[in-house]
Order: sequence, then C-alpha cells, then structure tokens
Amino acid sequence: MKLSDLAQVIRSKNSGPRRLTLDVMFATDADYQRVAQSPALGAEAVGELYGVPADQVTVIPYPAGRAIKIVLARKIMAGDPGDVDVYGAQQHAPLLGVEL
Amino acid sequence: MSASGRILSDVRRSRRPLRLLGASGQLGYGIPTPGFNAGMARKPDLIGCDMGSIDIGPTYLGKGEMATAPEATRRDLRKVLLGARQLDVPLVIGSAGSAGAAPHLDATLAMLRDIARADGLRFRMAVIRADLARPMLLEASRDGRIVSFDDMPPLTDDDITNAAHIVGQMGTGVFRRALEADVDVVIAGRACDTGIFAALPMLLGFPAGLAMHMAKIIECGSLCCVPGGRDPILAELDDDGFVLESTNPERRATPTSVAAHSLYEQSDPFTVHEPEGMLDLTNARYEAVDDRRTRVSGAIWHDTDSPTIKMEGALLIGQRAVLLAGAADPRFIAQSKEILPKLSDLVRDLVCEDQPQDYTLRWRVYGVDGVRMVVPANEPPPGEVFIMGECIAPTRERASEVVRTCKQYLLHFGYPGRLSTAGNLAFPFTPPEVSLGPAYRFNVYHLLKVSDPDALFPMEIETLPS
Repeated sequence: MKLSDLAQVIRSKNSGPRRLTLDVMFATDADYQRVAQSPALGAEAVGELYGVPADQVTVIPYPAGRAIKIVLARKIMAGDPGDVDVYGAQQHAPLLGVEL
Repeated sequence: MSASGRILSDVRRSRRPLRLLGASGQLGYGIPTPGFNAGMARKPDLIGCDMGSIDIGPTYLGKGEMATAPEATRRDLRKVLLGARQLDVPLVIGSAGSAGAAPHLDATLAMLRDIARADGLRFRMAVIRADLARPMLLEASRDGRIVSFDDMPPLTDDDITNAAHIVGQMGTGVFRRALEADVDVVIAGRACDTGIFAALPMLLGFPAGLAMHMAKIIECGSLCCVPGGRDPILAELDDDGFVLESTNPERRATPTSVAAHSLYEQSDPFTVHEPEGMLDLTNARYEAVDDRRTRVSGAIWHDTDSPTIKMEGALLIGQRAVLLAGAADPRFIAQSKEILPKLSDLVRDLVCEDQPQDYTLRWRVYGVDGVRMVVPANEPPPGEVFIMGECIAPTRERASEVVRTCKQYLLHFGYPGRLSTAGNLAFPFTPPEVSLGPAYRFNVYHLLKVSDPDALFPMEIETLPS
C-alpha cells in the first residue's frame, strides 16, 4: 500500500525561508500508528527521497493531530535565484508513492 | 474614551470571558462578507487581522510593495474598520502591507486615512514601525548580539548596509503598549502574528499560555477547521481555556483539526518561539464542545530572560526577465538537458562579444524538473513541456537582451536528429519575453539579542480626521 492510499493529508510548506516542513495526517489512530511505527517515514528513508543526509531530517510524531511532521533544510533559501518553489507547497510529491 | 480603554476598563471592572474575531489571516485577499457579518453579530471585543508573512518571498519586502491588489486591500480594510467602529472595539492589524517595512505601513496608513475621510470616521490610531536602524544594527553586530539560525550564514556589515529594507518582528509587548494608550485602531509594521490577539487578554490578566495559543490559531482565520478556509473565526477565552468556532457554519473546528493546525508552517508542533519567551503545547488538550466547536486548554507560557527579535531584510540582486515557451517534440524534450546549456553558451558568446558575462541565466523545464527539488531517475518523458528561461542582469535592458536572444536562438537551435526545422518552440502569445523588474533575495534572516524587545519599535498616536 502507498502512503497516498492511507493518509488523509500529505502536504509541504516552508517553516521560514530555510526549512521545509512536511505534514502527513491520518483519519484514524490505527492508520497513524501503522505509519508512525514503520521505517517508511524514518529519517533515513525521507533523507534518501529528498537527497539530504539523514542527520538533517527531523521526524516528529504528533499523536494529538494523528500526524507525522518532517522538517528538512532547504538546499536553496526561499526566493533565492534557482529556487523552484517559493512557498515550498509542492514538495510533498516524493512522499505520495512511499510504500508502507 | 477610545475602544481599547473602554474594553480594558469594562473587563477590569466586571471580569468576564473575552471574545475575539480573527477576521483575516492575510488581509487584502478578500474577507467573505457572510462570515464577517456572522462574526460581527456575536459582538466580539476585538477584531484582529494579520496582513503579512515571510512566505511571499523577498521581492515585496525589497521593493516596498504590497503583495495584495490595492483595491482589494482597501475593500478589506474598510470592512474591518467600519465593523470595529460600529461595535466600538479595537481593530488590531499586524504586518501592514504584506512585509511590514516603512513603505508598506505608509501605504496602508494612506488607505486608512482615505477610508476615514470618505466614510466620515473619527478614531484614535496607534502606529508602530518595525524598521530597524542601520547604525544600531552595525553596533549590535560588532557586539556579537546578532546570531544566525537555521544555518543562515553570519550577517556581514555589507548585508546590513546594503539591504533595501530591514524589519524586526515585534512581539506582544508592543501591542500591549499600544492598547494601553487608549486607541481605537492599532496598526503595526512587521509583527509576530500572536501579538495581534494575545496582547488584550494578557493586559487583562488572562493566562499568557492560553492567550498565545489562541492567538497562534485564530490569526489564520478558519484554517484550523474541516474543511479549512478563509472565513473569520471566533474565539472565546476564559481563565481555563478557549473555545473556537468558525463564522462559516460549514466549517467545523474539531479536536483533531485544531490540534493539527499547530503543525502548520511550524518546525515543531509542541513549542512556539516568540520574542519574549516560548509557548509550550506539550500538555495542550482539545475537546469537542459540539460538532463544530472545540475547547482548547493546557498551553503553558515560559518567559525568557534573553529576548530575541527575528529580523528580515532583502537585498537587490538585479533585474529579472523571463522567456516563456512550450515544446511538444519528443526528440527536443529528450535532449533538453543537453540543448539548454549549449544554447546558454551560444547566447553568452553573442551578448558578451565586447563585455564579460554580467548576468545569470537559468532554465526550468516544467514537466521534467521545474517544480521538484529532487527528481527521481528514469521517469518517462512527458508529451509536452513548458520552458522558462530566467535572466537576472544588472539592468532591465540587459536582462531583456539576454532572454530575447535566447528566444530566437532556442527557436532555431539545431540538435542531433531534429525533424522540426521550422522552429522548436510554441509561444502562447508574443512577446514571449517578460521583464519582471527588480529581483531581491533575503540577505537578513537573523536573530537580534535585545534587553528590551519593545524598545526597537517606536509608536505614534494619530487622531483622525487629522
């Protein structure tokens, strides 16, 4: 099963111009637990998808929101020459196909 | 007595819950009237609006221009100003004019004065500026009081001297001072969005943790609801918690939707750092009141003894022009990664015949790698692509020269196996080259250590009509 088949929300946005934050939210506690306990959204796996070392990836489980938050350093600061996504709102795409 | 003085004295005399209306998370993009009127009918004690963000990028801050259209901005300002004057409650607006520097604040003030004159309104207004003085910053830098965060390179004296505008995000204390000055309207330059809504309850002794948590949620309007949206939101705050309710009956504030909102645009859902301290949400509780209202409690505020102000500055880096074109030839698309650098070299040899290269030229091929920061290997090629060439050069004319030359030579660029010898590009219109004007980047995104976080932000009182 793919993450996009299970999650209710998969989104990305800047958290300040130098950080990208990805939120994955679930409809039920069971769905949340299933992904929170799997390595599919661990720092290693996410770092590989986004081309950053695992030690620059922070994964924060947030049970109150049935959500998993991921924070990454942006390689290019928002709005700098060469940026492709000033708001960072379309960087969730690599997560959609993650196999659970 | 003005609105803030009246509310403060009323509630101090007879303690009761406070009701606040978060009218807009981004004033100037339109406030839905049914929701605003529904909020007005509930007689809030304060109407607040956030008007800015750093998300919009460096160019608005650098150019001193609003991101929102003047007519829409004026319409929103008039709606909230008339509403606040009708109820005789404070109107509090933060991050005026999208980026909150002097030109943004001044343009917003000009609109407010204009509306006051046209509608015959009389009110007292506190105006708080967020621009940071260069000599003060140079001295702070020498004293080691400017620190980097999020891996930003250290701030140099040149950064301070050359930035087009440098603002600081003012904290809640500045808004408190303004509301204590007996005013009807508070209009602030760049500000933390929390100050807009947390200052009044904190002045009245409501728990700071609850006030800040409430402020952090309602500054986004009904975004914390399902379905989330732009309608105004109401919060009713007492000493033990607050209840959230959208002004649009179709939007429900549920425990999960509200809890999830603390993820939004934050690096950490459990802590929020503010100039004067830290909001701890670890023990926050979210309980349904009914199917569209949620009660929130449990947030704790920790004062800091080392306050910091987050600074933002934008530097002019040149003039931007772009070329917009499409392509549908599979061979051209397959070879675009080789063709575009070769084309860039060809253009450089033409436009730099008698001068060194003084510009940057970048290509984005939408359909291939225009959007994603990392592209997986071995994706099948798309049937068509959109190509954008972007030049940043010292002058508008130079940037335009580069992209116009690109257009002609890319249209007729020869590559191995080319069949479409009449032209490689489809233009949706001509001219396909667009001059976008000055380009900026954030060169200041640092923390300034201060002893008094309010002292940097001067306040003036203006009585309208003047």
